[in-house]
Amino acid sequence: MTVVAALIVPGSPLPRVAASNPPWGALAGALETAGKRLAAVAPDTLVIYSTQWLAVLDQLWLTRAHMHGEHVDDNWHEYGALAYDIRIDTALTGAILGATPSMGVRSKGVDYDGFPLDTGTIVASGFLNAAGRCPLVVASNNLYHDWQTTEGLGRVAAEQAAALGRRVAVIGVGGLSGSFFRETIDPATDRIASPEEDAWNQRMLALATSGKVDEFRALCPDYARAARVDMGFKHCAFVMGALGWRFSGATVHGYGPFYGAGGAVIEFALG
Amino acid sequence: MPKGEILAGYLAPHPPHLVYGENPPQNEPRSQGGWEPLRWAYERARQTLDELKPDVLLVHSPHWITQQGHHFLGVPRLTGKSVDPIFPNLFRYSFGLDVDVELAEACAAEGARLGLTTKMMRNPGFRVDYGTITTLHMIRPQWDIPVVGISANNSPYYLTTEEGLEEMDLLGRATRAAIEATGRRAVLLASNTLCHYHFHEEPEPPEDMSKEHPENMAGYLWDMRIIDLLRRGRVKETFEVLPRFIEEAFAEVKSGAFTWMFAAMGYPEIPGELHGYGTVIGTGNAVMEWNLVKAGLAHAA
Repeated sequence: MTVVAALIVPGSPLPRVAASNPPWGALAGALETAGKRLAAVAPDTLVIYSTQWLAVLDQLWLTRAHMHGEHVDDNWHEYGALAYDIRIDTALTGAILGATPSMGVRSKGVDYDGFPLDTGTIVASGFLNAAGRCPLVVASNNLYHDWQTTEGLGRVAAEQAAALGRRVAVIGVGGLSGSFFRETIDPATDRIASPEEDAWNQRMLALATSGKVDEFRALCPDYARAARVDMGFKHCAFVMGALGWRFSGATVHGYGPFYGAGGAVIEFALG
Repeated sequence: MPKGEILAGYLAPHPPHLVYGENPPQNEPRSQGGWEPLRWAYERARQTLDELKPDVLLVHSPHWITQQGHHFLGVPRLTGKSVDPIFPNLFRYSFGLDVDVELAEACAAEGARLGLTTKMMRNPGFRVDYGTITTLHMIRPQWDIPVVGISANNSPYYLTTEEGLEEMDLLGRATRAAIEATGRRAVLLASNTLCHYHFHEEPEPPEDMSKEHPENMAGYLWDMRIIDLLRRGRVKETFEVLPRFIEEAFAEVKSGAFTWMFAAMGYPEIPGELHGYGTVIGTGNAVMEWNLVKAGLAHAA
């Protein structure tokens, strides 16, 4: 099997930089749990699609072999810097770059000193690949790509991993419901801002958990619209493209708020 | 302390292509030029800015996006290398800028007084966005005037356009009050493109001007309509049609800088001076100036 693990995780920096706050600390614990489970599966490469790496021209992929440094989040700068040290699976990325034109998408590699990694990629790789054991493939979120195109990118990534004999974990980095608190709140009281969106989140998590794939799939567009899901839930499209919508259930390691927006650590059961 | 004044406002768009085309020593990539009419427009704007001798430049950039409030750079000196996440092949710029922290704090405080959520950015490791840097480089490449950098709160996208722009209006009023209270002679920079429809693939080389033209006719016509209104000083009418312009031309002014600037200036019904217009990967960009000194609404140095 090529895809040996598949997850959706939040890209907010809050669990990483402010885990002492109980609502965010719970999500940090969930991410640590997912990281341990991933280590047990021992994939060769983590394939990451992050909603926070925005692209508008072409489909961008990281191709710089080694990237390290510190990043300060645009919104949560008061909590300090996020350190990162990642390696890129340049062979697999190169294969994907060569393959996406077959689905009508022109890809470009990004290999520049000082390129600003997005917060989501840094947070996800920090929790899920804490020891830096695995190299990564990192895909941008082209704002003009729709659900189908994004699903196609996930599929192409998995196909190329298979062609190279890689065992990969596919990770969609992004949030769930999108309504958030615009004003300053006491972080300890953080909660999902909209009860309706909370209900939508829980409904989708229940469908995933129980393996009701067809129902989950059918509701994704309505969910994305009704719950203002982060970037139209395209991170799910990428993961599902890689899986071919084949999963038998899911474990929700954690679900909670990020200043009112929803996030969850979801590990899909394969096979 | 004399009461501070806004000397002028500039519409000062931020395509990194303009820096790339100019080949300044701070930017790593080299080009064969390109986008000359827009770069020459900025040369004219540089001259008028120089004559104004401002104490401070305030820039509102759509590429520092914040969700919780309107943020202000609050570190006295920020340095680093800014690599554009969208166009890393064009913009890898080593910057160093001085921040007028006192004025930034006053803007944040006035904004809070008007009911806005505001926050100071105090982290010295913060990477200043390429929109802020491009606008500042193009208008004042000497980097010798202190700066107040203001984020683009995403309210026009999260709320309705009208609700979001109402917030930008408040932010502009707060900015004016802060400038007056701190005695600064200030110039405002609205870092916005007009029509924002663009091509989805980049020519090779990027500066191949045989490929540069408006992405679509309707967007171009909208740009000309807006520029014509502004050149004739019909500011009220411009703001009446602004929501339609934003909707139909996908105009970047939605992000708020244009409204912020005009609110701070008090929406003066004076003709704007068009220094130049041009497209960048199909988007419409105008460099324009509203000189309040020349209009008799502010005092010369």
